[in-house]
Amino acid sequence: MKRYLRPTILIGAGLVGLWVLVALFAPWLAPFDPLKSLSPLALPGTPAPGGGVFWLGADLLGRDILSRMIYGARPVVALSTLATLTAYAVGVTAGLLAGYFSGWIDTALSFLANVILSFPVLVLYIVVIVALGPSPINVVIAVTFASAPAVFRIVRTIAADLKQRDFIAAAVTQGESTWRILFIEILPNATGPLTVDFCLRLGYTTIIIGALGFLGLGLPPPAPDWGGMVNEGRALAFAFPHLVIFPCLAISSLVLGLSLLADGLNEARDGQGRGS
Amino acid sequence: MSAPILEVSGLTIALPPGADRPNAITDINLALGPAEILCIVGESGSGKSVLSSALMGALPRGLTIASGGIALNGTDLTRQTERAWRDIRGRRIAMIPQEPMAALNPSTRVGRQIEEVFEIHGRLTPQERRAEALRLIEEMHLPDPARIAAAYPHQLSGGQCQRICIAMALSLNPDLLIADEPTTALDVTSQAQVLKLICELRDLHGQGVLFITHDLGVVADIADRIAVMEKGRLVEIGAARQILQAPAHPYTQKLIAAVPSFATKSRPRPAVEAGACLQVQGLAKTYGRTQALKPCDLVVERGTTLAVVGESGSGKSTLARLLIRLVEPTSGAAMINGQDLAKLSGAPLRKARRTIQMIFQDPFGSLNPRRSVGDVIARAAALAGADRASARQIAKDLLERVGLSAAAYARRPSAFSGGQRQRVGIARALAMRPDILIADESVSALDVSVQAQVLDLLRELQLELGVTIIFITHDLRVAAGISDQVAVMKRGEIVELCDTATLVNAPAHPYTQALIAAAPGRGVI
Amino acid sequence: MLSFLSRRLGGMALTMFAVSLLVFLVLEVNIDDVAAKVLGQFSTADQRHAWLLQNGYFDPLPLRYARWLWGFVTGHWGVSTYYHADVRDLIAPRLLATGLLMISTLAVMIPIALTLGVLAGMRQGSKLDRGVSILAIVTTSVPEFASAVFLSAIFVFWLGWLPGVSTLAGGVTLNELALPVAVLTLSSAGYIARMTRASMVEVMGSPYVRTALLKGASLSRIIFGHALRNALGAPVTVIMLQIPWLLSGVIVVEVFFAYPGFGTLLYQASINSDIYLIEACAMIGVVAVVVSQLLSDVINTWLNPRLSLALTKAAPPAGASAG
Repeated sequence: MKRYLRPTILIGAGLVGLWVLVALFAPWLAPFDPLKSLSPLALPGTPAPGGGVFWLGADLLGRDILSRMIYGARPVVALSTLATLTAYAVGVTAGLLAGYFSGWIDTALSFLANVILSFPVLVLYIVVIVALGPSPINVVIAVTFASAPAVFRIVRTIAADLKQRDFIAAAVTQGESTWRILFIEILPNATGPLTVDFCLRLGYTTIIIGALGFLGLGLPPPAPDWGGMVNEGRALAFAFPHLVIFPCLAISSLVLGLSLLADGLNEARDGQGRGS
Repeated sequence: MSAPILEVSGLTIALPPGADRPNAITDINLALGPAEILCIVGESGSGKSVLSSALMGALPRGLTIASGGIALNGTDLTRQTERAWRDIRGRRIAMIPQEPMAALNPSTRVGRQIEEVFEIHGRLTPQERRAEALRLIEEMHLPDPARIAAAYPHQLSGGQCQRICIAMALSLNPDLLIADEPTTALDVTSQAQVLKLICELRDLHGQGVLFITHDLGVVADIADRIAVMEKGRLVEIGAARQILQAPAHPYTQKLIAAVPSFATKSRPRPAVEAGACLQVQGLAKTYGRTQALKPCDLVVERGTTLAVVGESGSGKSTLARLLIRLVEPTSGAAMINGQDLAKLSGAPLRKARRTIQMIFQDPFGSLNPRRSVGDVIARAAALAGADRASARQIAKDLLERVGLSAAAYARRPSAFSGGQRQRVGIARALAMRPDILIADESVSALDVSVQAQVLDLLRELQLELGVTIIFITHDLRVAAGISDQVAVMKRGEIVELCDTATLVNAPAHPYTQALIAAAPGRGVI
Repeated sequence: MLSFLSRRLGGMALTMFAVSLLVFLVLEVNIDDVAAKVLGQFSTADQRHAWLLQNGYFDPLPLRYARWLWGFVTGHWGVSTYYHADVRDLIAPRLLATGLLMISTLAVMIPIALTLGVLAGMRQGSKLDRGVSILAIVTTSVPEFASAVFLSAIFVFWLGWLPGVSTLAGGVTLNELALPVAVLTLSSAGYIARMTRASMVEVMGSPYVRTALLKGASLSRIIFGHALRNALGAPVTVIMLQIPWLLSGVIVVEVFFAYPGFGTLLYQASINSDIYLIEACAMIGVVAVVVSQLLSDVINTWLNPRLSLALTKAAPPAGASAG
């Protein structure tokens, strides 16, 4: 247990926890209504008409940037997590089946995964979003579609590798049912690398959702969206850097937290010697 | 003895804090003369590898020389700079590694790797280097030196790679040769050839050889003097004959007693009804174009042990996997008490599986690291039909029976040693109350003394439960000690099948004769 | 080697076939949507119906797909609804510009990443090692648009050394390439450095490196003569496999800096629902990925004697036995 208390894990968990809390308690934390136009392009620190201060300034349409950042955490956290979880559900099941059974199941699923993985990620998203239209659900669908093959590959390799181990042979020779072998013998031995990958993938997903917002393909306005905020403020960034710097810091810090967490978990696992 | 080449006095090497003992080796004193082979014998954890690393100035990080001295022909090795070591290594001291194929650079031709020794120590022109390398390869009794020199390591066999490593080690005629378990990774016939080569070269060139091994049979064959190490200390040292025939220290005595020999003793028979438990007819397996197992026939009587002996590639593992139906046979049948597993499927197959169980080779891979050992055994019992409560009880009873305590139930495999894990494996196999137990190289990965204990356990269990055992091994000595009947396999077929006493005393097939001749330590232990 | 290549090419063709089917299905299965996107949102139902009829959209799906695929293979990629120009003419110059950007990025990123990775792996656990790891984690955590913002803030707004946009209006200049290349390098160098480090650490701990040490080899001989050849195999594969990721980053970077490349073209197409342009861009993107995967396989095989010998079916020497 002690080895999990390393600085990388603590800092990472702290950052991630911070943003999760911000997302959960947004209505109580945000000083202003994120959709309300007050004083356009107010600089950070100027007081707002009717009380309160624009701590991080106001954007092009006069909306408080701090509040938009706080509320912006919600779609990012919710969509990333949901998308990654569904990608995992699909990828893990497919990967276990392909890795364990090999044969035509493996060939077919691997081919499908390779086809999807042949798309540069953002190109795939663009195709899907253009076809389905921008909305939160479609973003989740697009992300799941694009991430599941990568998870599939990882699980498949682990399953194929573990299949060679003698304790799986022992289970087979004792007449153990296939489902139990997949989910009780094999899967628990993959939780180590999968936890690390989960954190990393949450990070990638967050970056992609940010990029989609930046390209205008994410949530439709006027919803607060970190990537979208950068896009809106870009033209005026020369004169008003606060429009873009703070959303960038927000997204970078969240992903940094996830990366640190992943790295720390990986190191903690290595130190343990992985159980053999 | 003339002036010693190597003198180690009071050498103590400290481990980093937090290890299971303060020193890797403590107060080691030994001397090695020219043209002499000193064998250092010890099991895992004895510190022999640390000693050899220290002699090369290549201790792993964290280990330091706490006290004592090492003198090589007068040079104090404990006080050398790294630059000085680069001159000493390869020229005055050379090492023969344990895993020859892994010890060679996979992307460089082996001839080049031999030439590199000359390159490093600055002698000879490129043409001379090439000529020397070829000459050395020839001296190793490798045919067609030019073709071997142009090969990559993975194109050669283990034995050939080891000879390349020996050629590299001897190229500059060092004073001291350290051989760190050089034949452990080789099969018996290659091992015999390499040992013969080392002795021959020692006679020719006169270097002192420090031979580290855990195999007392090997020691018996080649040692002039023997040093025994246990837990970092030198417990006994002296002339080979003296130590082997009249060991003084209890640890040495235990080691010698544990060595399997060809002396077959008669064993009591378990009380079971007579009859064949296993009948194999024409069983064969082909993978693509390779015939891993040619059609074979076997009959094993209930309550007896059949040993299947062969080197790697002989087909013995294929046979085991066919019997337990991990792979499907291409042809033939194997009847266990009249029932052929290969003809069943679904629920009847699941039920029939309990009649034959396997104990696997790798103590580290044969247990699920995430489950407690008790659960694993209980699950096996449950699959054989027991309900939850009785399954737990069966598991606890079996843990006791194999020599572990019932309190071990909740512990995970990582808490146990290799020998203890094999016992858990035996308990798991027995939980289904099988008629046949297959032990697939189950003791090969264990230290000699632990190996003897596990073999004793198997004998006891056979006597008590009347289980039939099929024992797969590459070591003919182990096979002779435990079996009633032996099948010798080569390249996928059974070349000899007879009772153990006949096999050991009057082997018929030339291959069996060669195996027996190659087995180290015969006649001395 | 030839049979290996032909097998891989066959696999590639099959993949492209499946990809084309996927792209076609996703974008053109709903014909009302297609008509709306091509004719604009102000078109009437009658107009759309007439257009669909005229362009063969009421034919069965397999026929439409076959026609579309044939058109694609023969170079007829349709007309862009936004630019009102032939898609093929639009794409070509943009591809060139993006190609230039990618190659410049690789030329800068690969030496930096490999050197850092090798140095970190050589001195495992040292401050340099920790530093490289942390630097890698930080740079890969910052999305491309965010690092573009940060770098612009420093070099464009504060120091004023570099231009804020890279439209290449006056031809290709180093100034305009600098920031896009820097952003792309930052986003991928970290990962490659870490993979190189891991490979280096593994090789430095291998038995054959120990053998070299025990032969008396110096550190430089060990690194250059033994370690690098075996350690660089994995990073090379990783670099080739990073190309799909780079292509994604390229889109964001081009849009940010208004660089006239393939990415901005796709971006324009996406916000204008320019179907045919999107289809063509998607297919080209996939071709780039698939080709880079093939290249990665070829390079890997060339570097690893075990694989290349197996492929050219060199028979093992007669003396080799299983023992």
